[in-house]
Amino acid sequence: MARVITTKNRASIDPLKHSQPLGGVLVFLGLAETMPMLHGSQGCSAFAKALLTRVFREPIPLQTTAVTEVTAVLGAGDLLGTALDTIREKQHPEIIGVLTTGLTEVNGEDVAGELRAYHDRRADDGPLVVRVSTPDFRGGLSDGWSAALAALLRDTPLDELDVSTRLSDRRVAVLAGPALTSADLDEIVDLVESYGLEPTIVPDLAGSLDGHLAAEWSPLTTGGTTLAQLRRLGECGRIIAVGPTTAAAAEVLAGRTGAQVSQFDHLAGLAATDALVGELAALANRAGSDAAGAAVGTTPPRRVARDRARLADALLDTHFFLGGARVALAGEPEQLLATASLLRDVGAEVVAAVSPTADPALERVPCDEVAVGDLSELERRARSAGAEVVLASSHARATAARIGAAFLPFGFPVYDRLGATLRPTCGYRGSRELLTDLTNTLLDHREPVSQAARHGVLGRSRTTCTPRDLRPSVASTWDTGKSEPRSQSDTRASDVITESHEESMC
Amino acid sequence: MPAPDRDVLFEEPACDHNRKKSDKQKKAGCPKPKPGATAGGCSFDGAMITLVPIVDAAHVVHGPIGCAGNSWDGRGSLSSGPTLYQRGFTSDVSESDVIFGGEQKLYDTITEVAREHNPAAVFVYSTCVTATIGDDLDSVCAAASTATGVPVVPVHSPGFTGSKNLGNKLAGDALLRNVIGTVEPAYTTEYDVNLIGEYNIAGELWDVAPVLSKLGIRVLATISGDARYRDVAAAHRAKASMVVCAKALLALARGLESKYGIPWFEGSFYGLRAMNDALRNFAQLLDTGDGVLLARTEALVAEETARTRAALEPYRRRISGAKAVLYTGGNKSWSVVSALQDIGVEVVASGATKSTEGGVDKIQQLLGPGGQVIKKGSAPELLRIVRETGADMLIAGGRNQYTALKARLPFLDINQERHIPYAGYQGVIELAHRVDLALHSPVWDQVRAPAPWESQQGPAGSRPAGLVGAGVR
Repeated sequence: MARVITTKNRASIDPLKHSQPLGGVLVFLGLAETMPMLHGSQGCSAFAKALLTRVFREPIPLQTTAVTEVTAVLGAGDLLGTALDTIREKQHPEIIGVLTTGLTEVNGEDVAGELRAYHDRRADDGPLVVRVSTPDFRGGLSDGWSAALAALLRDTPLDELDVSTRLSDRRVAVLAGPALTSADLDEIVDLVESYGLEPTIVPDLAGSLDGHLAAEWSPLTTGGTTLAQLRRLGECGRIIAVGPTTAAAAEVLAGRTGAQVSQFDHLAGLAATDALVGELAALANRAGSDAAGAAVGTTPPRRVARDRARLADALLDTHFFLGGARVALAGEPEQLLATASLLRDVGAEVVAAVSPTADPALERVPCDEVAVGDLSELERRARSAGAEVVLASSHARATAARIGAAFLPFGFPVYDRLGATLRPTCGYRGSRELLTDLTNTLLDHREPVSQAARHGVLGRSRTTCTPRDLRPSVASTWDTGKSEPRSQSDTRASDVITESHEESMC
Repeated sequence: MPAPDRDVLFEEPACDHNRKKSDKQKKAGCPKPKPGATAGGCSFDGAMITLVPIVDAAHVVHGPIGCAGNSWDGRGSLSSGPTLYQRGFTSDVSESDVIFGGEQKLYDTITEVAREHNPAAVFVYSTCVTATIGDDLDSVCAAASTATGVPVVPVHSPGFTGSKNLGNKLAGDALLRNVIGTVEPAYTTEYDVNLIGEYNIAGELWDVAPVLSKLGIRVLATISGDARYRDVAAAHRAKASMVVCAKALLALARGLESKYGIPWFEGSFYGLRAMNDALRNFAQLLDTGDGVLLARTEALVAEETARTRAALEPYRRRISGAKAVLYTGGNKSWSVVSALQDIGVEVVASGATKSTEGGVDKIQQLLGPGGQVIKKGSAPELLRIVRETGADMLIAGGRNQYTALKARLPFLDINQERHIPYAGYQGVIELAHRVDLALHSPVWDQVRAPAPWESQQGPAGSRPAGLVGAGVR
């Protein structure tokens, strides 16, 4: 639906993009007893670790092969073996993820060959070592996520299963993309379980980086999908893949096990969640599930029905505020897909949308135009379109402030707010929470003074030049239905609040 | 920078540590990082730490997105004015740049940044990938500077050359070669000084500079906390320099001495004793022969010491005798030990992984015979030492914060990501306040208690053995 605007090979000002290795690392952090490792200079992992620690407020297991300029020239294969030995000896992980970086890709390291040689040398039963090619001069976080998830499902040895356990209707593999928070994963698990089905989430960041106090400190991930669970994925008769990022992995897994794939672009909003729930009900029917008293087919579990009713009510309550609201959005491709869809469902208008990387999925984002670019691109577009609220990562807080818009930190990375991983954004519950969060953000930004402003109590004092006035019809959410141009006294609070800033820009 | 030029940076005659090394040790350079067991940043990170606090400059990273994407807008240095240093600028090298070279794109990036953001200067950082493909940073920077009229400073510090520490050195070298001495200050005073290695983390400079100004000492340039480019460029007119907790920047201080005759000393602003020493050292170097500054300094030291001691008194009663394990890098290992002792905390062990031998001696001396010097600072090792010493808290960098918290252990962040200033007289009081808050927070009893469904003893591991009952006083 959207026109995708790509400027070829520009520099980046206030980058929105994150590197492929980072996306790959996130996938491995969602696996239990795991150590991801970047094959590159020590800084590659130090920076990634620092950022992830800031976001999750959790210890982040992440190692490096520590390539130096000498080993970069002479070949870094030995480092890889040494690093794997060291990690195995010290931390005894179940899984090690080996992700390349720009440096090792530029050098043309034969990582696959090196790993084969390593395994030949050490024929003992070691951890599962998964290799992913993630050069950071190509693609971005979503591409790294996609590549790592596909590589994981390609390399995991699957248990031999007999006919009675293979491809059970009751067992569901849920492949999760990068737009889902820990709370979203919980929401999906709840939905699946409420139909008497048994989900296995891959990767399960809700088990590892949700922010929990484990029994004791560990150098590895303290939760997530276990290797045992991965090995038994052949039991799952259905693969529910959430987000286009998971499509490649779903195909790999289905090719290996013969499971059927249900691919979802996202699970934001009433209709999208209905589609999932319909699917689950059908699966439950097939499985003849009445386990734990869960209803089969047409009678929904009580909580599901209640949550749906609450979302429907929230759509009604929030449409007064979000209908016509002008929203600027930036994030990973499937984040845009999900959020723009929810915003469209409530009648809001996405006036600026920016993705860090190109992706075929961007064409399906329900708005006029999606630009591939950075936060300076978002700023330019949001300003000229008169956006009232910016929904993007913490990096965009300054962006929103400069254009005088409200701001809801959202997506990756959120580091200036606690609990972002435990805010749901999809399913009936998550959609409701996001709609009310966004409404409240708008209300906080302007409501207390806007009435006063509207009644002329707060007049515009001294303004020589306001970009806002140059904009064609910037109808406020609360002005919908008013067709006549605003009078001089109809100054909105945000004009007053941002006046000094705007003046300084003139 | 060619390797022979860089080798010169390892020759540091002003550094005791360096002088003591044998030729063979010198040739070996920095210890090589161990694959699979390495924490800590790279040279590129180090160079950024040293230069990004120049707040009115634009900092352009010439590399793929991994380098800038994960690091921009993440530094703890504060500004009293311009915020340009917080913006993220990168050439965002793509696959085609790798193949065809990234020089044109870098040039375009610099000129665009210069045109649209009006920087006082542009610092350009090379990275592993652009160093490998052989982009000519110097030529591009020179051409861009000519085209824009803005100083464009190349910084050759790709990550794979080594550690953060080397990056600090390389950044100092870039300043000495290309920046300092290019601008004359509007005016000078008898008491103009440079603070080298002070990054204004959490606003620490703002607790120090006012004290100096009470003595009539003007900070001409900080390298580089809350610095303006033109002040750094005029640093050669200072009358004295202080190297603040940064062995890596000794070469810069020495360069200022040999090129411009500026005397200098090494010191710290952490703790009462260190702060007093710093002021006295400045007074001695700046004394014009009349002894006026010396006398003024003694008076101020006496006054501030008394005021600080009085302010510390209520905290002393609450935290005196608390045991802490300290784990931080380089010179801070000993300077923070002395600060903690000043407020009555007993430091039972301190890290020395990044300290020089001289630094280690100093730590051991400060700790006394009972104190442990930590040579290896992995998380399990730190927890083992905490258990062994019966320490009440861990004081370390942000990287170890969650090591402590996951072991239900009070923690204080002392490194560059922290948000609380601990420098100067005010900083000592703040340090005492924060140690008190950490130790006596009501959360510890709650998170150490078993859940209702656990037996009173709790299952194995629910409470880390050895930490049970560990000391909240």
